[in-house]
Amino acid sequence: MSDSLRDRIRMFILENYLFTDDANALALDDSLLGRGIVDSTGMLEIIMFIEEQLGVTVKDEEMIPENLDSVSRIAAYVESKRKVA
Amino acid sequence: MADSLVDLLLAGAARNPDKVALRRQHAAWTYADLTRGAASAAVMLRAAGLEPGDRVALLFRNSPEYVALFYGALAARLAVVPLNVQERARVLALQVAHGGVRLVVGDPEHPEWAALRDVLPGDVATRDVPSHDRTDSAAEFLQSLAVGDAQPLTSPRVAPADMAMLLYTSGTTGRPKAVMLSHGNLVANNVAIQAYLQLVPEDVGLTVMPFHFSYGNSVLHTHIAAGATLLLEDNLAFPLRVVQRFERERVTGFSGVPSTFAILMSRCRLDEHDLSSMRYLTQAGGAMTRAAIQQMRELLPSARFWVMYGQTEATARLTYLRPEHLEARLGSVGVPLDGIEIEIRNEQGDVLPPGQTGELCARGPNIMLGYWQDEEATRQTVVDGWLHTGDLAHRDEAGFLYIDGRLVDMIKVGSFRVSPLEVEEALATLPGIAEMAVASTPDEMLGQAVKAVIVLRDGAALDERQVKAHCRAHLASYKVPKIVEFASQLPRTSSGKVQRFKLS
Repeated sequence: MSDSLRDRIRMFILENYLFTDDANALALDDSLLGRGIVDSTGMLEIIMFIEEQLGVTVKDEEMIPENLDSVSRIAAYVESKRKVA
Repeated sequence: MADSLVDLLLAGAARNPDKVALRRQHAAWTYADLTRGAASAAVMLRAAGLEPGDRVALLFRNSPEYVALFYGALAARLAVVPLNVQERARVLALQVAHGGVRLVVGDPEHPEWAALRDVLPGDVATRDVPSHDRTDSAAEFLQSLAVGDAQPLTSPRVAPADMAMLLYTSGTTGRPKAVMLSHGNLVANNVAIQAYLQLVPEDVGLTVMPFHFSYGNSVLHTHIAAGATLLLEDNLAFPLRVVQRFERERVTGFSGVPSTFAILMSRCRLDEHDLSSMRYLTQAGGAMTRAAIQQMRELLPSARFWVMYGQTEATARLTYLRPEHLEARLGSVGVPLDGIEIEIRNEQGDVLPPGQTGELCARGPNIMLGYWQDEEATRQTVVDGWLHTGDLAHRDEAGFLYIDGRLVDMIKVGSFRVSPLEVEEALATLPGIAEMAVASTPDEMLGQAVKAVIVLRDGAALDERQVKAHCRAHLASYKVPKIVEFASQLPRTSSGKVQRFKLS
């Protein structure tokens, strides 16, 4: 999996929800909901980021924790969508 | 009339002990599980040295464990202080100290639990109670309490004015604001809501609203009082998962605030699911647009749509609008619940006729006992038994009520009230700021968001991210300013008062 993709996703979350550029503040597998990093509207913003900045359309049925609840999961999901496209 | 919510639980449990009361994705607790859990929780709390009138705080996401501890605490004649699961440990610790809480029970996996334990005053005890979404969670709960075989749950024999809950609302860290609700308040409001919604044991509700929030609290207890089933979620981050539960578990009722319905409509194709079981939708927590209500009704034609209004100081609910009146009275919050009187008054306290806007004042069995340890605020808010809501409203000729605004500065993010002063207090501890003011700004999804305007000291350098990071360290996420602007001065009146409305 591309490190740069993971870094980009992590940086977005750090910048917008933790307000830091310290990568240590967010582990790749940290649960975004479980750690209270984002709430319902934060998740919608992450989806907008995926669609607008990463060029992947998120279908309603793909909005599940398995795809979106950590940096690693988002990166894996985005890569799998790009491969299909 | 029941004395306490415990009596209402006991009645439902006696009728149908094997019915599922609460269900997460995996964990399912029957009414028998819930009463057994509550009885054991009462034993655990008494064994911890708590005595009638003492306060116990709970830090749990929406879960059966929270509910069992809540009813167990009432059975032990304690007052429950539900802690805001989105709040930071430092603020929670201040509330615990302010509320004179003797014991805090929390889920060890909650992200703030460890930090909270570190900063609690030394004389406050803590207790871990795991809350796992597993099929055996009812048994695991009893095991974690380790009290052996408890006697069956019994009525606590309380007086109506005995305090049952302390709900922290939009205060500031310097002056926390905790609403004292009595057993009588909770029973009266829950019975009145249950009556107009006509909740029955066959109902299956689903809640995404946290139980520390008065609306979530009322959804929980009305369903338990009805002997119904309540499905638990604690957020709407994955809306399709919620809609799939509507369909799969034949949900009959759902409650939300305007942003809840906006998220559902924007991210789910509701008309592609069989949601014909949905019997009612309730909406409170601020005005929802006419177009959004209409769209929701078209997407879920089987559901009756109830608009409601209230506040924490009134336990939860003051008024409701029957679905059959929605078309003719769109924009109205309806009429008072049974047993509640409402008057619209001017600044001199005179009752105003229809069509004129004034402060909405209410009297009834659901009006709070007052604010905890704040006689001055209580005296200003509850005058001769009348709650002064701070909301501006008018009646029409037929007696329907319409909310026109608020008297006091308050930001409503989604359904959460945020005091601008609390955010300003947090900002004031950030070096480099000469002065600042916080106000609301329109937000497409949430209705309003927090905006901060900051004047820096000469030579100070701060950027937007530093400001937000500081706020996030001190405040719940929804209180962090979404917009931070830097200015050379703040707009003020000639007397020097900041004009917040000019900041929006």
